[in-house]
Amino acid sequence: MRLSAKVIGFTATLLLHPWAMAAEALPQHWASAGGSLTEWVVAMGGESKLVGVDTTSQHPDSVKALKSIGYQRALSSEGILSLTPRPDILIGTEEMGPPPVLEQIRAAGLKVEMFDSKADLPTLQATLLHLGRLLGDEAHAGKLFDDYRQQLASHQEWVKLAEAKQPAPGVILMLGHMGAKPLVAGPDTVAGWLIAQAGGRNLATQPGYKNFSTEVLAALDPQVIVFADRSLSGDAAIAALLKDNPALATTQAAKHKRIVQLDPTLLVGGLGPRLPASLNGLSQAFFPDAKP
Amino acid sequence: MRPVLAPGKLFIALGLLCLLACWLSLALGPVSLPLLDTVRACLHLLGVPVQGQGLEQAEMIVGQIRLPRTLLGLTAGAVLALAGVAMQGLFRNPLADPGLVGVSSGAALGAAIAIVGGSWLGGLPPMLEPYLLSICAFLGGLGVTALVYRLGRKDGQTSVAVMLLAGVALTALASAAVGLFTYLADDATLRTLTFWNLGSLNGASYQRLWPLLLIATGVSLWLPRRAKALNALLLGESEARHLGIDVERLKRELVFCTALGVGAAVAAAGLIGFVGLVVPHLVRQVSGPDHRVLLPASLLAGASLLLFADLIARMALAPAELPIGIVTAFLGAPFFLYLLVRGRP
Repeated sequence: MRLSAKVIGFTATLLLHPWAMAAEALPQHWASAGGSLTEWVVAMGGESKLVGVDTTSQHPDSVKALKSIGYQRALSSEGILSLTPRPDILIGTEEMGPPPVLEQIRAAGLKVEMFDSKADLPTLQATLLHLGRLLGDEAHAGKLFDDYRQQLASHQEWVKLAEAKQPAPGVILMLGHMGAKPLVAGPDTVAGWLIAQAGGRNLATQPGYKNFSTEVLAALDPQVIVFADRSLSGDAAIAALLKDNPALATTQAAKHKRIVQLDPTLLVGGLGPRLPASLNGLSQAFFPDAKP
Repeated sequence: MRPVLAPGKLFIALGLLCLLACWLSLALGPVSLPLLDTVRACLHLLGVPVQGQGLEQAEMIVGQIRLPRTLLGLTAGAVLALAGVAMQGLFRNPLADPGLVGVSSGAALGAAIAIVGGSWLGGLPPMLEPYLLSICAFLGGLGVTALVYRLGRKDGQTSVAVMLLAGVALTALASAAVGLFTYLADDATLRTLTFWNLGSLNGASYQRLWPLLLIATGVSLWLPRRAKALNALLLGESEARHLGIDVERLKRELVFCTALGVGAAVAAAGLIGFVGLVVPHLVRQVSGPDHRVLLPASLLAGASLLLFADLIARMALAPAELPIGIVTAFLGAPFFLYLLVRGRP
């Protein structure tokens, strides 16, 4: 008797509120431990649901005002549980951890969703559609992805045209801190992917980011240097780079003033929504003669 | 040097301090739980039937997050401090540190091999990963210490001076190897390594706790039994021998206990500096040099210090978390400097 009363009550609730079930299933408060994931959530209109982000989430500026849950690899279970309102879901890339903390968070009833941060389109598509489902707007996510793919495709066509007019320049991408001891990006990094997509020829062949001696840098003689500085920007960053690495002055890039700035936050955590715009910037620096 | 405080009073004071640290460690955290809920959750965990609302949340936080963390801090702090006493006794120098026999650098090397090697193999199955790191760190610590001990031995005699120098050299060698792994590591692996080297009680769980609990219990039961022999060693090796102490055996036991205890603590919580150096030093100021008092008192003080440091680590930047090695070094290093400056005539 009691059971059937419950069933009737439940059914009535369902009938009266057709979206009751759906609204219950969707997480309302989000904690994000991944820079580009945060950007995508914001791009899908989910910013109001975010209650805490990690230290790699630096874009857009408004998320910096949210509570920081620390670095993505050193999360604290109690810290995340103490956010108000308490989050229902924690999202992050496979770098998120440590694993015992994730287990504790799961045990406390939070959904923990891990996304692949590989820099390719199928991965991005899966990520966006999954985020869309969790935000309750898969259609919007699909459209965002189609736009993204469209932008990259039309960019590729432009690069092909440009390459027909002038040869692809030799490029090195350096990641530095106030100009000192910059690390050179190898082809297997997101930075390497960016160079290739923008139509450049990466002169560095080693895996990962490595220090190069100034002699080697001069010998590589890049035509374009892309420089991402973690603490300086604008002319100050380029001045610092040349001051700390005088050997660079002999390169074609320095002689023809073809040193391009790149935002270093673009290089972390998979493909983000700001990449197509920065690709355009890079390509224009690589192929100054071609008109976009 | 005469004790400032009678041993009985000292034990009562340190015991109360340790209890207070345990209680605070269970009661305080980024999630603010009402005091009553914490008490009820503790009682419920002890098997007392308790009724009430919101108990599930409190029990989850206290039972699954704070209690394993408290136990980890308690045992790691105790065993690190005991190892500090053992090393200061062995080298007959109050500035000795468990790191001197190479156990910390060996553990760091083991961890580097596990972290970087693991990423070369394309990542380990998640089930195995935490254990592999702990096992490698433990074996690395044990291995380097065994080597230091071997190098110090000649004709059945162990030269403490040679051990000390061998420890310095092997620490340098292990650091160079860690440096090489750091250079070869990719960005993401590098960060894991960095954070491991700073230590943390974060994410403590019962499954990973029991090896340390076992070893810590063994070491804390064994070392105090050798307190008299350690006292004799304070007079000098030949004097201790004349008093009928088997000095070679004592040295072997001290090195073994240190390697085992610190290795297990480091494997469970990462590198936590300064506890082994500062705690015995601090306790000696109050208790005097008698190891029968110094050993148990250091155990209690080390456990309390690490728990208080962990409170800072989890509260200071909440909801983010500070690595505990930073906190102990920030507390320990200035104190150490103070001792150095004050001790000068």
